[in-house]
Amino acid sequence: MIRFSNVSKTYDNGTEALKNVDLEIADGEFVFIVGASGAGKSTLIKLLLREEVPSSGAIEVNGYTVNRLKRRQIPGFRRSLGVVFQDFRLIPTMNVYDNVAFALRVTNVSTRDIRRRVPYILSLVGLASKARCKMNELSGGEQQRVALARALVNNPKLIIADEPTGNIDPELSYEIVDLLNEINKVGTTVVMVTHEHDLVAQFNRRVITIDNGSVVADDADWGQR
Amino acid sequence: MKGSSFTYLLKEGARNIWVNRMMSLASVGILVSCMLLIGSAILLSINLNGMVSYVENQNEMVAFLEDTADDNVVASVEAALAQNSNVDSFAFVSREEALERYSEVVPESLLESLQEDKEEVFPLSFRITLKDLSQIKETTARIESIPGVMRVNAPTNVAETVTGIKRAVYICGSGIVVILLAVTLIIIANTIKVTVFNRRKEINIMKFVGATDLFIRMPFVVEGILLGVISACAAYLLLWGGYTYLMDYVQTQAAGTLSAFLKNLVPFSQVARQLLASFLVGGVAIGVFGSMIFVRKHLKV
Repeated sequence: MIRFSNVSKTYDNGTEALKNVDLEIADGEFVFIVGASGAGKSTLIKLLLREEVPSSGAIEVNGYTVNRLKRRQIPGFRRSLGVVFQDFRLIPTMNVYDNVAFALRVTNVSTRDIRRRVPYILSLVGLASKARCKMNELSGGEQQRVALARALVNNPKLIIADEPTGNIDPELSYEIVDLLNEINKVGTTVVMVTHEHDLVAQFNRRVITIDNGSVVADDADWGQR
Repeated sequence: MKGSSFTYLLKEGARNIWVNRMMSLASVGILVSCMLLIGSAILLSINLNGMVSYVENQNEMVAFLEDTADDNVVASVEAALAQNSNVDSFAFVSREEALERYSEVVPESLLESLQEDKEEVFPLSFRITLKDLSQIKETTARIESIPGVMRVNAPTNVAETVTGIKRAVYICGSGIVVILLAVTLIIIANTIKVTVFNRRKEINIMKFVGATDLFIRMPFVVEGILLGVISACAAYLLLWGGYTYLMDYVQTQAAGTLSAFLKNLVPFSQVARQLLASFLVGGVAIGVFGSMIFVRKHLKV
């Protein structure tokens, strides 16, 4: 469950990135957040991840009041969600398996559980045969699937995807969103930020449109129009 | 923290060194160079000091007794010298011994011209070496005031020069070491900064998958310890080899008066333990604290 209550964010340089945003996303939903560059999408994601704190208003994610988290509570909060970035953010010196296992090691999961869990997740994203490959041996689409596997491996209640298809070929983009769609079907909440309207149109999902720091449209049936 | 995590972090630290091996090599190279410079400066100043002390020990003063001095006076002067805290050693010189010494340096013909009882010309005396040459004036005055002592011949000028050299060696040596230490710290701080900066993405990723600050820091700290220990051992071995080689070379080449000096060089074994210990402590401390400080900057995500 995600709830933004009257959230505003003004940066130190005076830029008003978000203005009085009210938003509610229920558990198990799949939501696209769309908008032009500079509309405030990135700020929204940063607030969701507690990379930034709002100037005013309250944010609730997975039962955490994010705007009031203490520094030592942040790691615990971040373990309750999975993130996928546009630039993948994989560790180039590690192979596929280790990149995924990394997210578990960080959270004190035993080696035995890691050995059980990682191959399963890799097979889920279709990369079981590439477990020992290095990042530079993979295509953009494959790298994004590694990032997705890393986001999923903790079994999070919420996946946040920030322009996950921004750096990959259009034909592979559908594959990634479809994968997110499958993940959503088993009950994981998915929030995906994108500016690719064509892609959004192919999935019949709720679409929140942000423009100039405000929510200007919230269509539950955008895809059917 | 679970045992498996701990092992993982240790392995991760070691792996980081290998993965970033060029940077690790650069860090070790810089650390080793700095330790070598500092070690050499320390060894040099210890040796210079040793040589000056040798010169110092070669200087003795002579206290001549009154002509009338008998065995009782000799005994009382002996007792007074034994009580003087700055007297290192003293030896009584009889008239016969004095004549003997004198005849070594003076031509036979000159001695011939003296009267029958040649040795009667020479007064009784004490040859005295001091502990601290810088206090030569005070000590001379005190010995001269002992009843029965006629006069004291002391190399006051030499003493002042030697004391001055000793002070200069100490000040210059400490100064060089302090400057080298400061330069070392600046270079190493920059090296660690670059290392951490190169891996800021990795740190950022760790933050987003929910790693605690301690977990992120540990591999860097392990890395710092390992690099510190490797550098300390390498610097120690190089210094040992280099110094021993140099000592052998110098001692086989030198002849005459110089060889007497060089016999007083400090053998490496005498300073080995302290050197290794300070290298290890310094290397590890720099590695650990450096990593801790510079990783901190990137943890605020």
